[in-house]
Amino acid sequence: MPHQLAVTIRAALPAARVAEVSELLAEAGRKGVAGELFPFAEVTGVHFARLLVVPEGPGADGAAVPASVVYMGEVDAPLQAHLTDLVRKAGEGLEKVFGHCDGYPTGTASVAARTAWLRAHRIPSAAFYVNTVGRGRQQILREARLREAIEEFLDQQGAALSGAPPSRIRAAIQEYVTGRPDLAWARSRPAPPALWWRIRQKAHLLALPLAALFLLPLLLFALPAWAVLLRLHELRDVPSGERPDRRHVRELAACEDFGAQNPFTAVGSVKPGRFRRATLTAVLLVVDYGVRHFFNRGDLTGVKTIHFARWLFIDDKCRVLFASNYDGSLESYMDDFIDKVAWGLNAVFSNGRGYPRTRWLVLGGAKDELAFKSYLRCHQLPTHVWYSAYDDLTTATIDTNARIRAGLFADLGPAATRAWLALL
Amino acid sequence: MAPTLELDDIQGLLVRGYSSLKAACFLLLAVTDPPAARPALARAALRVTDGRTEPAESAVNLALTAEGLRRMGTLPPGLDGFPEEFVSGMTDPDRSRFLGDLGQDAPRHWRWGGPATPPVHVLALLYARDEPSLQRLEAELRQDLLATGGLTEVLRLATAELGDREPFGFRDGISQPLIEGLARTSRVTAARDGATADGDVVKAGEFVLGYPNEYGLLTDRPLLPDDGTGLLPREPGGTGADLGRNGSYLVFRQLHQDVQGFWGYLDDVTRRPDGTSDPAAREALAARMVGRWPGGAPLVHAPGQDDPARATDNDFGYVATDPDGLRCPLGAHIRRANPRDSLDPRPGSAESVAIGRRHRILRRGRSYGPRGGPHPPPTAADDTQGNGLHFLCLNANISRQFEFIQHTWLNNPGFNGLHDAPDPLVAPRGNHHATFTLQARPVRTRHVGLPQFVFVQGGAYFFLPGLRALRYLCTAAPRDGQR
Ligand code: HEM
Repeated sequence: MPHQLAVTIRAALPAARVAEVSELLAEAGRKGVAGELFPFAEVTGVHFARLLVVPEGPGADGAAVPASVVYMGEVDAPLQAHLTDLVRKAGEGLEKVFGHCDGYPTGTASVAARTAWLRAHRIPSAAFYVNTVGRGRQQILREARLREAIEEFLDQQGAALSGAPPSRIRAAIQEYVTGRPDLAWARSRPAPPALWWRIRQKAHLLALPLAALFLLPLLLFALPAWAVLLRLHELRDVPSGERPDRRHVRELAACEDFGAQNPFTAVGSVKPGRFRRATLTAVLLVVDYGVRHFFNRGDLTGVKTIHFARWLFIDDKCRVLFASNYDGSLESYMDDFIDKVAWGLNAVFSNGRGYPRTRWLVLGGAKDELAFKSYLRCHQLPTHVWYSAYDDLTTATIDTNARIRAGLFADLGPAATRAWLALL
Repeated sequence: MAPTLELDDIQGLLVRGYSSLKAACFLLLAVTDPPAARPALARAALRVTDGRTEPAESAVNLALTAEGLRRMGTLPPGLDGFPEEFVSGMTDPDRSRFLGDLGQDAPRHWRWGGPATPPVHVLALLYARDEPSLQRLEAELRQDLLATGGLTEVLRLATAELGDREPFGFRDGISQPLIEGLARTSRVTAARDGATADGDVVKAGEFVLGYPNEYGLLTDRPLLPDDGTGLLPREPGGTGADLGRNGSYLVFRQLHQDVQGFWGYLDDVTRRPDGTSDPAAREALAARMVGRWPGGAPLVHAPGQDDPARATDNDFGYVATDPDGLRCPLGAHIRRANPRDSLDPRPGSAESVAIGRRHRILRRGRSYGPRGGPHPPPTAADDTQGNGLHFLCLNANISRQFEFIQHTWLNNPGFNGLHDAPDPLVAPRGNHHATFTLQARPVRTRHVGLPQFVFVQGGAYFFLPGLRALRYLCTAAPRDGQR
């Protein structure tokens, strides 16, 4: 199975076109219509995708950065296949959106030319969290069907199997699945991601600690100075205390809570000065390391409801974009943040302008419940167009489905057989 | 040290459910003429029951919707400081989608509170010892409120004589959070009833505005730069006046219960192979949907059959006794409405209970219809008259408490790792094919295609002000252009 990629494509919009493109996206996003302009369901390997307008903001040297349109996808590798398929299937929609941007190949330009333009406008993620690395879209959808088939079989055979021992019940399920040619794939395990990719990950796993070891004397020397500077900044920085505008909240609410999952997109300005920029760069380096190597099995430091999340720098590190796909409502998402990973959010977002006051980078901050919730709402952007390939599947369901498939034909002892049946 | 609650400024309903006042009715009113409505409400406000002592004869409480507050004309029209969900209201389309009020539950079909019926601005809650006493109280209150014509009556909601059973036949009103600061007195009652669960004592700020909540913070509430009357409490540590202090938000939903549909369904799916009804199996399945037996005994302690000795037992968690739902199904109503110690990240821990304390509500509902109260067996005649629950609950943060429970726990088909399984008892089904799973070993049984048993027929979010704030709202000088 492939590994997953975070694709981000961003291009500036001429000021005169901002309203038009925002309206077009909002219109397309109103449930159901997006699929006509952007048939993501037909684009292979797309888990989630979104299109939105990022408003103008401050850039380096105080110059304003114009508003831009952003496409983000969480997709199965390889990238080229995704982009080509995207241009082929959603070419018309892309043209309506990116057609206003500088140099987008319109009209009779080739697929290759458009793909090349998209590639050239990519922005790398500073960090990218994948709930379970290597679980492709096809696997997720297939395993949901497998689960459904087994559940229905049990519903029908329940009476006949009642009183039967666990091994007999499992054998009956195996026999049933074996008899369904459409489920033949379930007999083998999903393949792991490509070898070269796994090797690269391993190299990364070792490289960062090695580099840190090498720089240790320098780090030890710099750390006390950094800590003092940090406290000075923290005492001086002014929390905005801002409460979100009601109109803004309504615009956001109109894009939320249609299925089991929601998108979250936010943009914020990094506090001015080199100190915060350097701190945030370092923090995101650590986040990147953590999510690549440790938090890649269904759990982001205690929060289990996130499918994907990414952090990226834009505009010369003057701003940060954050985007995620999560289960449940924004309220439950924010409560999870506060209850489970306040420290992690603080480490990243306290470098953003207006964030509730922190102590020692990780304390305080998000623990100021309503100030934190307001901060997120104020910085959140309406995710006009959003697509999920499995919008009724929570991370918990996807995980259970995968375990059902993994155990179905595995060699299980009596205890493991009972545990497997309990998954159903 | 818990702060002392200003019981003389807190409306009585926050402190107690008036269990000795068996008769009640709710008047829904509209403000038609603000200048006349203000003195009328001010007169009624004099009758409002505070939280100091348990009233022996009768009680009155008053609450206003966001539109009602605007109509009064004494606040800035933007209603700054009131939360968005309160200001936009329960029937805003985005809220309806969030709450699951779609299809036949959509506000446009409601008996009150929706777009098709007259707007509701004021809610008067009347309680009395018995029916004659309620009639006297109601007559007096009508005189205060309606005689001068500033307010008109939209609807009168009757309730059934308070018994201990809700219309489906289950004992209700067993599990409630205890407000810290009141806990000592309530604990005595709780202990008497055998109801003391860990984590049931909750910070006052979760229910009463102006006191620290479970985060140790004050929930956002309306503050005024200066009230000009000296009537309102001061904002702690600030210079403004605190309009929210001692107030709360009251969530009101009229929930129609299809009693016949409920028991009819249960009867159908539990019939013996020969086609005859199996009353014991029927009751057992119903109990598993609720998480308690009709008599009240919790399934985690009484898995096999009802146990009168445990009728009000509330001292249990789920993780140690029943982690897999073999006694009380993972999707049962009470297991969702208050998961106790089963929340992530560490089920079974004190931390898990602490997280749960941020999502508690004080339930103050009353049943209506002929099947509220003491209980005859179901007959077909019952439903034509309509049975149900006037679901009322109090909380300081509607989003984090009531709406969270409704959306993330009750209506969520993926709650607790389940799949396709909204609350079997109360959730709307939407276009999901709702499933109720009975966890079992070696393998579960499922009830697929569960019909809907509870329907929303009205509702609104109200602000239940402190007594001084209430007086301020009806006596302060109206703002320019608001006359
Ligand atoms: C007509 C609809 C409803 C019926 C018939 C009903 C019935 C019941 C029953 C029989 C109990 C157990 C008795 C007790 O613990 O006091 C209960 C508990 C509870 N219900 Fe409901 N309920 C309804 C709607 C709701 C709604 C809409 C909510 C919240 C949004 C809710 C929240 C709760 C809570 C929080 C508990 C206490 C759980 C605990 O602490 O163990 N109920 N309900």
